This record gives sequence, structure tokens and C-alpha cells, in this order.
Amino acid sequence: MSTGSVEVVYRGIFQKTLAKNICRGVVFAAKKAGKIGIAFGRYSDSPERNGIPAKQFAVVSDTEEELEEYLSRYEPDNNDVTIAADDTLCKGVESWAWYGLQPINKLLADGGTLLVTSTQSPNRLLSFIHRKGTPYNLALVRSPASFSGLWVYKDDHTDVRLLGALAKVAPHIVSLEAILETIKEQWKDDSKVQSAKKAYGATESHPVSAEQGNEEIPYEFELPGWKDMEEGLVIRGISAEAQSITGRDDGGYVPTRNTTFKKFSTRSMRPVINFDTCTKCTVCWLNCPDTCFDVTPDGFYDANMDACCGCGVCEAVCPVADCITMVNEEAFDGNDGQWEAWNKDKEAYAGWLAEKIANRPPRAHGFHHVGQYAEEVKNESA
Amino acid sequence: MQKSNVEPITDFIGTQVLEPWKGIKKVAQQEYFTSGHRTCQGCESAQIMKLMAKAAGPRSIILGSTGCMYVANTTYYSTPWVIPWMHTQLGSSGSAATGTAAGLRALMRKGKMSKEPINVIAFCGDGGGADMGLSAISAALQHTEYNLLILMYDNESYANTDIQVSGSSPYGANTTFSTPGKVQRIMHRRWKKNTAAMLAAGHPECKYVATICTSSPIEAMNKVRRALSIGGPTFIHSLDPCPKGWDYDPMYSHELGELAIETGIWPLYEVEENTVKLYGKSRQIAKGLRKRKPVREYLERQGRFAHFIDEDFDYFQAKTDEMWEKWLVPGVIPFSNP
Repeated sequence: MSTGSVEVVYRGIFQKTLAKNICRGVVFAAKKAGKIGIAFGRYSDSPERNGIPAKQFAVVSDTEEELEEYLSRYEPDNNDVTIAADDTLCKGVESWAWYGLQPINKLLADGGTLLVTSTQSPNRLLSFIHRKGTPYNLALVRSPASFSGLWVYKDDHTDVRLLGALAKVAPHIVSLEAILETIKEQWKDDSKVQSAKKAYGATESHPVSAEQGNEEIPYEFELPGWKDMEEGLVIRGISAEAQSITGRDDGGYVPTRNTTFKKFSTRSMRPVINFDTCTKCTVCWLNCPDTCFDVTPDGFYDANMDACCGCGVCEAVCPVADCITMVNEEAFDGNDGQWEAWNKDKEAYAGWLAEKIANRPPRAHGFHHVGQYAEEVKNESA
Repeated sequence: MQKSNVEPITDFIGTQVLEPWKGIKKVAQQEYFTSGHRTCQGCESAQIMKLMAKAAGPRSIILGSTGCMYVANTTYYSTPWVIPWMHTQLGSSGSAATGTAAGLRALMRKGKMSKEPINVIAFCGDGGGADMGLSAISAALQHTEYNLLILMYDNESYANTDIQVSGSSPYGANTTFSTPGKVQRIMHRRWKKNTAAMLAAGHPECKYVATICTSSPIEAMNKVRRALSIGGPTFIHSLDPCPKGWDYDPMYSHELGELAIETGIWPLYEVEENTVKLYGKSRQIAKGLRKRKPVREYLERQGRFAHFIDEDFDYFQAKTDEMWEKWLVPGVIPFSNP
């Protein structure tokens, strides 16, 4: 008599179909083993947005009563397995229904498994993943994050590979036999069955001690209870005075920002800026939908890494060929400003910039044209 | 006996005089809609909020009907708004704008507020504006004694609730209500509603109606400034590329807006005191100084049109050609002379 649950943390919209395929697969496989399951997206994650960390769950029980009992809670909070469908989510998520930065392993049960698709080393990932305080396992499926969109799905077998890996790390939730049978039935594609089997064999699992991981304390903020809320549910806006203090010629301009939601956990790529080639044309600043560019005292535009969500519009609109470049978020620690580093030591900054751009790992960011995903899958498997 | 102190129904407060910004370097630095909204990466509707607030300035009241720009910007007691903002129901951006403008006027007349022109802007999405709120907007545009602007941010679907088809969705687009199937490839066969021109033609006393796009940010801000300065009720229709519903890499948000204009699918124009004037690249297209790009270049970049085959592209092209070759006012008024 038991209940098991799987939490899938994914990039909103880009991985919505992927997360759905995984959670559905778990439920169908459970049925094959005579159990009962349910798959659901969290209501507050729909409307979900591009890139925003979102969640779907699969819960499997021996009996209907147990399932109902488990589902009476606000959301599954002691999951046997947490799947991070993109490894940059390991830096923590500003999740809906969570006020601050939530560590990726926060809702993982003691002794559970954090399953991540990543090409990075376990140690590198553990430099991002916040210290849990209790032991758990870190398992890896070796592949880059699979991104597509709402209407066109990139079928690179990441869904079934994660299902195969799941059978390895949590056989009490789904067995390999049930998973393979489900995949055969759902997709009617033998190569997908083989991919799952291969992932089952290749999945490495590493024990993580209670003390291992990123020591930083993730920020949180106090949400007022309903008794503290003001009449008419007034939300206090950002101070207008603070917005009009500085002008362009006397010390730059840094807008006062939302203090309780930063948005950087949406980012899977970040802009790096070459201030040596920047012409101060203001186009990035004016076109950034997230108002993330601070105006520096000397008239440059510095992307604020707490506010930047990594859309890439700045790179696209910048008229200078090598001024702004988007680089995979996994290459960075922390959210330090780039202009400050450049100002301190221009030579060292140039070296850092060149290294980041030269070694940037590949990363897709959704639909460009018809046939693109098929080409990508072909290149990746070659 | 009480003396009647009700001033005649003419504007006694006036409007703010917002001169157009001539060039990017003249644009105000101050932000009144800042960072920290839960929108998509590359959200052009958030971008238009930023531009609108910047253009209007600090002495403004913003009202917003339900949609992405309501839900994403006030979630969990947290907001990027600096200037006052209030939520109103889906179909009531027009009523909220009229009511707020009337309320301000009454408070000033009674001496409960010092007299000063305050910008009143109500925004709505295409669902809230082109579909549900059309009657309230129409009513607002008839009440010429109130100064207000209604800005419709059009991302061509009910994007907040996960992309249902709206009156503004383009022909053939994949939405959750028009998913292509094996039997029927094209499930949405209606041509996009011509909202701005309809409102301009239907409300001859409305002094200003314009279409804008975030890909021309300075033009867009100057149209907002013009609408707020001219007085009376005004309307602006903005086309906002939407990476979620249109299904494209968010980095191309700006570029897709440009393509919509360059292919002629989205004409930029303003109607001021009943005089229609195309501007920017749309003006060049109408004058024959610029060749329209094929609509394919725009459509093929978006996952919502990934099911299109040649005949669908051809149909879309022919309908767009009609806008420029057959319409009484190219790109604006779909009548033809006999």
C-alpha cells in the first residue's frame, strides 16, 4: 500500500508538451501494473509563459482511496522524483505559488531522486543546486535541454528517455516493462522504445549528502495574509519619486524594480555585452520588454541580471555585429553586473567575454522554421 | 438658493501637452512600468505597456481589462507598475475609461482635487477589445466631453488563457480552438477584424485613431502622446507579436513586428480629425515607394502557420494584395467604388 509522486519542473511553453508526455506516460504505465494514477498541470501554471518555470505532476497509488487522500493536499510536496527538464532550472525557480526563489530540490522527499537532463558534470550542477539538508540522489540523462513551442513539437525522444530513466531510479512507481509497453502503445514507434531502454541502461545516479550543494540561502519574501491586505486589495506600486531622481548626465539611471519578483529564473540564456564595441545607440534599452537595462553614468547600457529573463531581443535588435551575444546560462555563476567588471579591468573583461562566447554550449530557443526540429534531431543523432 | 456651479459640458481642464519625441535620444529615461512582470520572454505586450507608460508620463491613471497584462502584472501581491493601475472586467475598458474620466472631472469641479489634466488610459487585449468590449469602446468614443485613450494590445488570440481564437486571429492560425486536423487543415477561416478603421469610420467625432506596432517604438510612443494631447476619447490599436501563441523564438519578437508591416499585413496609419494618413513603411508601400515582402516571409517564421501548404499561403497573399490594390483607402477601408 503506497503512493508515489513525480514532479516535473520545466520551462513554460517550450517544454509543456514534453512534461505532459512524461506525466501521461507515468499514469498509463501505472495502469499496466494494476495501479491508479493521475497526471495534472498545476492550475496556477496555466496561463504559463515562455521560459517561466512551470510544473506538472504524476501521482500513482495502489488504490483510489490512497490517491484521493494524497491529492487533498495543496500540491505534491514530498515527491519521490523531481525531474528538471532543463538543467538551468537547478539554479532555483521563482515558481508560481512560491514567494521567492525555490530550490529545485525543495519538494523532493528525503532519499528521493533529482533527475536532470544535462551535459554538465554532477559537481558543476551541485554548485547551482541549493543544499538540501537531507541526503538524496542526483541522476543524469545525458542530453541538452529539449525546447520547442506550443504548436510544433520537437520529437527528439527526450520524453521517453526521461521515462526510461524514471523506471531506473523509481521502479516502485513505474517498472521498465510497463514503461516500454506504454511507449509502444502510445507512440507506435519502436525507435522510441529503444531510446527508453537505452536511457534506462545509461542513467547514472550519484548520492548527494545533506551538506552538499550551493550554500547560498535562497531569497524569500513575506506575502501578507488576507487580514493584512488593504481595502480593495490594493497592491502598493513602485515609488514614483524613486523613478525620477537620476538623469542621464548626472550618474546614470537605474529604474526601481519590482522587489518581490525578479524573473531571472526564467532565463536559460543571458546576454554578454562588449562595451568596447557598444555605440550607446540605446536600441537594446528601448526594446527590452523587461526594462532590464540600467543606464550607466558614462552612458552605456548594462543588462541587470536580476531582471533579465533571457529573451534575446537585445541581441536581435543590436545594430553592432559583435556587441551583444546570448550565451547559455549554465556558463555563469551569480548575477553580477558586467559593466562594473569591464570598468574595473577592461583587459580581463575582454578575456572573460571571449572565453564565454567561444565556449558557449549550443542551445535552442523554440521554433524558427518548418522542418527545423527534424534537421536538429538528425544532426544530434549523427 | 443654491447657485448652479456645473460648468457646461465642454472641456474645462484641458489635456497635457505632450510634444512628440524627435529621435531616440530625446525619449524620457523614466520608467513607469518597470521590470518584474510574469510575462513570456520577448513579450511585446509588456513592451507596449512600458512604452505607453513612458509616453504618458507620471500624471496618468491606467485601467486594464482582464488579459495577460492584468494577470501577469499583479500576480501574488506584486507589481511592476509605478503609476496607478486598476483592473476592470473583460468587456469594460471603455466604461472604465469613461467612468474614471468623468469621476476625475467631478472631483475637480467639486474642489476635492486640484484642477489638472490627468491622462486616463484604459487598455484591453484583442479578446477584451475587438470581441467582448467593442460596445463599451464604441460608447466611450461617442462621449466626446471626456479625455481618454483606449489602447488595444492585440496579440491575435486569447493568449492569457492559452491561445483561443479571437476576432483578431489571422486566417488559418493554429489556436486551441482551431487546431488543424486530418480532415480539415484550416479550421479558422475568418479574416482578421479591422478594428481600428471600423472605430474611426464609425465615430466621426472621435478625433484620433491610430495603429501602432512595438517594432516602431518611437512612432508608437508619439502616437500615444498625440492621442492624449488632442482631447476627447481616442483609440489606438497595437499589434504585439506573441512568442507563446504565435510559436516562435522570443528573440524574433521585434523582427516579426517589422515583417508584419513590410508584408503589408499590418498597415500603420492614423486618422486625425477624419483625415487618414498612412505612416512609416506602410506609407511607402501605399505610395509605391516600397515593394511589399511576400507574406510567406512572415508566416513561415511562426509555428501557428506550420500546417500551411502552398494554397494557404496563396490565399493569404491574395487577401493581403486586395487590401492594397482593391480597397478604397489602401490598408484601411475595405470598400471599393462601383
